[in-house]
Amino acid sequence: MNPRVLLALIIIPLGLVIAAVPQNKTVPYKLTAPELLSEVAERTQFVSPEVIADMLIKKDPTLRLIDVRSQQEFEKYSLPGAINIPLTDLLSEEYADILNQDVKMNVFYSNGSLAANEAWMITRQLGYTNNYVLEGGLNYWYETILNPQKPSSVSSDEEFLRYDLRKGAGMALGGDAEVKDTQDQAAGPSLKPAIKPVAKKKKAAGGC
Amino acid sequence: MGPLAVNEIISENTNLFFAFLIGIGFGYVLEASGFSSSRKLAGVFYGYDMVVLKVFFTAAITAMTGLLLFSLFGWIDLSLVYINPLYVTSAIVGGIIMGGGFILGGYCPGTSFCGASIGKIDAMVFIAGLFIGVALFAAGFNWFEGLYMAAFRGDPKISTALKMSDGFFALLLILAALAMFWVAEIVEKKFPREEY
Repeated sequence: MNPRVLLALIIIPLGLVIAAVPQNKTVPYKLTAPELLSEVAERTQFVSPEVIADMLIKKDPTLRLIDVRSQQEFEKYSLPGAINIPLTDLLSEEYADILNQDVKMNVFYSNGSLAANEAWMITRQLGYTNNYVLEGGLNYWYETILNPQKPSSVSSDEEFLRYDLRKGAGMALGGDAEVKDTQDQAAGPSLKPAIKPVAKKKKAAGGC
Repeated sequence: MGPLAVNEIISENTNLFFAFLIGIGFGYVLEASGFSSSRKLAGVFYGYDMVVLKVFFTAAITAMTGLLLFSLFGWIDLSLVYINPLYVTSAIVGGIIMGGGFILGGYCPGTSFCGASIGKIDAMVFIAGLFIGVALFAAGFNWFEGLYMAAFRGDPKISTALKMSDGFFALLLILAALAMFWVAEIVEKKFPREEY
């Protein structure tokens, strides 16, 4: 048989198969279910409001707050410097570079922590790192930073210290706590997670 | 699953080792199909031997079909496969220089090494020329940079530009390649050359 005919007999049916079947556009998950479960169980994705408040006051350039609520809610109220990526648009091409990077520390937040945590789980399964969740969301932010409750008089010193810290942060960030000098306590515990490098796509050159 | 190295299934060094094995296979096939003869390679321009066209188009459609089928089965993530970025000006200028060198020297870079390894002197001269060209380009990069980087178009795909699916474009390309092979064989009969 002529090699050209033989080639045609093999490759044309394969070509027909490729042309007829819809393209495979599924994005493979990089983490297995047990790997993700262990991360969820360790709760490493949560960052406390105090750490975020501290970074905001210090104007830490690595912090990037991402509001995953709808655009209307975002326009009504958002944290300082936050950008809006509604949860429904999370997988949109235009946000891929924001979510998959190794320069900034992305922190998702929503009203509670559910939607933000969902955003984190999806991006984590795609293998993205450096994404975190604001613990308790905006509700807890309001409780702890903007309107902290004075601990009862029998509370430990630690409780009072945390209260002062929160109140100071709340004042700096426009809360309604009373004015009191807390400068000397502003050095909060450094719980800020380290930014992990992203494995870059490899490149290969060809030629004849 | 794939690409293996990008998904860290194999290490960078294992990847290079595979590249080494594939390179040996590539060189072997080039030599076995007569690609170490500059007359055979130049034949495609004069119409007496179309084997270059046939081999490279067969390679292209085989690789394309394989990649698309692998993607269909979920064996490879095509979004992680590197596509050469398109710089329109340098693609055209480079194509002309490469084509000119091809007719003049009777080799392309890969086949010149193939020829040199079996002792062809013209291939060795070609390689010397290749290195001189590389050195000149590197030394004069500041001069060429504007031209080299001009008209950047990202990494486009013809199928996207024509608004059709990758699979359908692949089928068209397969049919076009087979038609081209048929025409090539007619041309070979029309411009025969006995000894070369």
